[in-house]
Parts: sequence; C-alpha cells; structure tokens
Amino acid sequence: MNAIIVSALMGVVMMLSGIIFQNKSLMKHLAAAGLIVLLVANLLQSYGKYVIQVDTHNLLHFEQFGIFFNTIAIVATLIYVLLSGKDIENTGVHPAEYFALVFFVLCGVTILTSFNGLLMLFLGVEIMSIPLYILTGADKKNLKSNEASLKYLLMGSFSTGIMLMGIALIYGGSGSFGINPGTPEMTVGGIPKVSFLTVAGLILLFVSMCFKVSAAPFHFWTPDVYDGAPSVFTSFMATVVKAAGFFAFMRLFESQSDLMGATWKILLSFVIIATLLVGNITAVFQQSVKRMLAYSSIAQAGFMLFALYAGNDLAKEGILLYAAAYSLATIGVFAVLIKMKDYTLDGFNGLAKTQPVLALATTICLLSLSGIPLTAGFFAKYYMLAAVVKAGGALWIVIVAVLFAAVSVYYYFRVIQAMYFKDGAAETSEITGGFKIGLLLVAGLIVLIGLLPSVLLNYFYF
Amino acid sequence: MNTTEILFFFLSALALFSAIMVLISKNPIHSVLWLVAVFFAISGHYILLNAQFLAIVNMIVYAGAIMVLFLFVVMLMNLNSETEPQKNLWMKLAGVISGGCFLMVFVSLVRQATDLHAKKAMTSTGDIGLIKNLGKLLFSDYVVPFEITSVLFLSAMIGAIVIGKKE
Repeated sequence: MNAIIVSALMGVVMMLSGIIFQNKSLMKHLAAAGLIVLLVANLLQSYGKYVIQVDTHNLLHFEQFGIFFNTIAIVATLIYVLLSGKDIENTGVHPAEYFALVFFVLCGVTILTSFNGLLMLFLGVEIMSIPLYILTGADKKNLKSNEASLKYLLMGSFSTGIMLMGIALIYGGSGSFGINPGTPEMTVGGIPKVSFLTVAGLILLFVSMCFKVSAAPFHFWTPDVYDGAPSVFTSFMATVVKAAGFFAFMRLFESQSDLMGATWKILLSFVIIATLLVGNITAVFQQSVKRMLAYSSIAQAGFMLFALYAGNDLAKEGILLYAAAYSLATIGVFAVLIKMKDYTLDGFNGLAKTQPVLALATTICLLSLSGIPLTAGFFAKYYMLAAVVKAGGALWIVIVAVLFAAVSVYYYFRVIQAMYFKDGAAETSEITGGFKIGLLLVAGLIVLIGLLPSVLLNYFYF
Repeated sequence: MNTTEILFFFLSALALFSAIMVLISKNPIHSVLWLVAVFFAISGHYILLNAQFLAIVNMIVYAGAIMVLFLFVVMLMNLNSETEPQKNLWMKLAGVISGGCFLMVFVSLVRQATDLHAKKAMTSTGDIGLIKNLGKLLFSDYVVPFEITSVLFLSAMIGAIVIGKKE
C-alpha cells in the first residue's frame, strides 16, 4: 500500500512543482528524489511498516514477491531517470508533467503487483496505460509520434474492451471478481468442472493481457509505437511497463490456469512459439536499431512467457531476474541510442573509436540481451528454461527457445560489429562525464548479477 | 407471459436490432443514433432489474454526454462514402472468419452453460441497484478502488492538458 500511496502523491507533487518552479532542469533532480522516497517507502513495507494502515477489503493482497518486484521497478526507473532525465526535459515543453505521468505509471505498476481481484487488475492496467498513450505523443511536432500515440490509444482501448468483456463473463460464470477460485472439481474425463462462461472470459482476458505484453499474434502495435514514440519514453515503455505486464499476467493466471485444463498449455505454447518466431525473425531484417530493439522486445516477451508456462517457484524467481536483467540492459542500450544522431545500423559505425566507453557499455548490454554467460541475461534465460524443464513434459519448447536465442545473437551482434569493426564516424550529441559513469555502473550491475544472481534472489527470501 | 417478460423480450429485441443497425448503417451519423437506441434499451433492462440509479446514469452519461461527443466528432471529421478507405478482399475474408469463430464460441457457450439455465434474473425484487445500497457498498467494500480511480482520472486530465495545450 505504501508504494501505491507514495507514487500517487509524488505524481501530484511533480505536477504542482511545474507551476511553482520555473527552472526546468530542477525537475530531473526532484523526480530522482521522489523515486528515492518511493523506494524507501516500499522497502519499509517489506519490513511491515506502513505509512497509513488501510483496510483493502481483500481487494489488494501484499506479499514479498510483489513488493520485491516493486523494488526492481522503482530502481529501474531511478536508473532510467538518472541516465536519461536530461533527454526527458528536452523532449517537450512540459517536463514536470512527463515526470508526473511516469509516477502515475509506477502507481499502476504497484497496483498490478498486488491486485487480488479483476476489478483492481482493470484499474491497474488502465492507470499504467493511459499515461503511456500521452507520453508516446509527447513529441507533438513530430508526425510519427502523433501517429504512434493515436494508434496506441485506439488499439489499447480495443484491448481494454476485450478485457472488460472477459471480466464480465467471468463475473457471470463465477459470481465474483476474485482471482483465486480454488481447485476445480474434475469430471470423469479429466475436464475441470467450471462454467463455460468462466473459460470464455479467461480466454478473452488472456488475449488482452497478451496485447499488453505484446505477444504475437497481438503484437502489431509494438513496432510502430516503439518506433514512433520519443526514444526516452520507448525505453520506459519497453522495460518497467512491460515487465509489470508480465507480472500481472503471471499473478492472474497462477491459480486460474487449472480452470482451462489442457487447453491452457496448448494455447500458451502456440503464443510462445509465434512470439519467438515473429520477434526474432523480423528483428533480423531491420536496418534501424530502434526498430530492431522493438522487435527484440517482442522476442524477449516470448522468453518471459515461459514463466507462465512453467508456473512454479523457479519461474517466480526467473521472472524477477528476467525483469531486472532485461530492464537494466534495455535502459542502457536506449540511453546510448538517444544520444545517437542516426538511429540506423550505419549510424553506429565506428562508435568504439569516437566514444569507447559508450561502445563498451552498449556491448555489455547487448550481450546481456542475447543471453551470453557472465551477464545477467544468461541467468535470466537459464532460470526461465530451467523452470520449464522442472515443470516437465515439454522439452521440445525449450529446444525451440534455445534455437531462437541463437538467432537473436545474430542481430544483437550486428550492432556490436558496426561499433567495433566498421569504419565510420558515429555522431553523438554531447556526452557528459556523469553519463559515462552512470552507463558503466549499469554495465557493472549487469555483470555483477551475471556473476552472482544470488545477490538479487537471496534478497527475495529475507 | 406477464408484463415483465413481455417488456424484457421487447427491450432485448430492440437492443439487438439497434446494435446490428449500428454496424450495417452506411452513414456514421445513423450509426451513432442507433447506438443511442441501444443505450436506451439497456437502460430499460436496468429498470427491469430494479436498478433505477444505474438506468438514469446510463442514460445521462452514455446516451447523453458521450453520444453527443461522438456525434460532434463524426460531424467534424466529415466522413462520407468517398473518404472511406477501401479494404481489400482478404482482409474482409479474414475478418469474417475470425468473427464467425468468435460467434460460434459464444453460441456454443450459451448452449452448453447448463448451470445458467435454471438461474433467473431478480426482476423488480433485488435492491442492490438502488442508490442507497450502491453508495454504501462504494464507501465500504469498494472504497479502495473508488479512491484509486482518482489517480486514473488525474493522469487522464494531465494528459489531456499536455496534449491539448498550445505551445
């Protein structure tokens, strides 16, 4: 509850500070301070201390797993603000409002990590999505940004409609908004005895959640929106928000997947294979690094879906590790991408000569995204696949995933190749010393988690 | 068949007919007006369920405010048959197939949901939709989502200003 209240309050504070302070460069520091306060409030909650005691009437349920995910999301946002805060200020003329919207997105994220009913799920998803529609269109003079924003709004509202339809059907079938229906009775044929309305509703919910995390075949909005949105906000959308979507997805279907019987695994394996296929194969053909990262985020979504497929404790650890590894690496790559003058692959030619530090950090981030050992991405992928193996019964899907991970190495390495082995003079905007240090810290963190994933996971059990 | 049942079937038929007309009207203004008819029919259902407050709110907010907004947008966009984009045949075919599959799922759902056959709506007996009970519920069991909705509205308002403000 702490994180929900504090993030909403911080959003209001940021909004009002836009009127009080005329100095635009102050906002970044204010937002960073606000995030630290939010982090402290969230950590206090994990030790059982509350800002205000609220009776949620069982609509919200707080547990360590969710609170720890909040911590990851807040830290990722803090790193994001520290690295790219200046670029947020340069995007438009309303920096205070952008930061306020980022805090509201975090409020939605914290609701999604603790919802205990479909009503709160809906509210969380909407609080997370609506500020994003606006951030996508923040660059008002740019036609592509406008198009992306409108596209995102229309498609997003359509998927919200599907979600509401699903919730209505589930309510009709079970008579409650709860997400813990208990183990259903089995009929003779091994088919769970649940209302058909519930099953149809669950399928609709599945579709709309797939849309939110951009799993194929509901991914069509992703490349256009990620490509059109201002790069700073793409970075936020592709990391914290996406990981939170997965967390909600997992929390929602953790106990409900039994209700769908064997259909669930068939449906999910189809979506996983389609997502891996579309994401990886299309990313290979991209010339723009930004668009390539959009497709790669679809491909990464395919890996995160394994957590749903396995649905055991190892998968829970895995999704935390994956969220941290993926967010850190993507924020790092995007922070560099924002500084580039040219977003195409050729624009990265010879970056290692002009900006060796940037090239090094980008390389480590890309290695992590492709899952090379000694980086966080390796253990993230390893935990996901190990969870599926442990759950048993589907070795073929693990083999397919490993093959697609190999494909992903190709397009990530093309960027590295361009930076180190091609001649050119990559142009960047002005790079400060602080930015370089921050980037190296991110890279260091990725390697640290890659060497000792227990650093992150042990904390989970305290 | 008593009056309630007659009314129920009349309103259902009206709602379905109007909903189909929304889809097949060539003129977007007619579509919007048929949608108003759908909302009135649904409000009628709410009254049958003894939920007067919901019925009135549905009429004021949906049939009133939102539909007026729709009408203005449709008029300002100046849609007519010439500006309508031509969809290709495969697109239409894919739409028909996927929509048909969805319809099939729903038809079989209603037929096979035997647990629902015995249940009947609480016509004119339930009092959960009365404003007194609704208010009590909203400020006791559902007070947390009620308050959290304010964050949603606040972010939407900030967004509207950020997008709409002249630079």
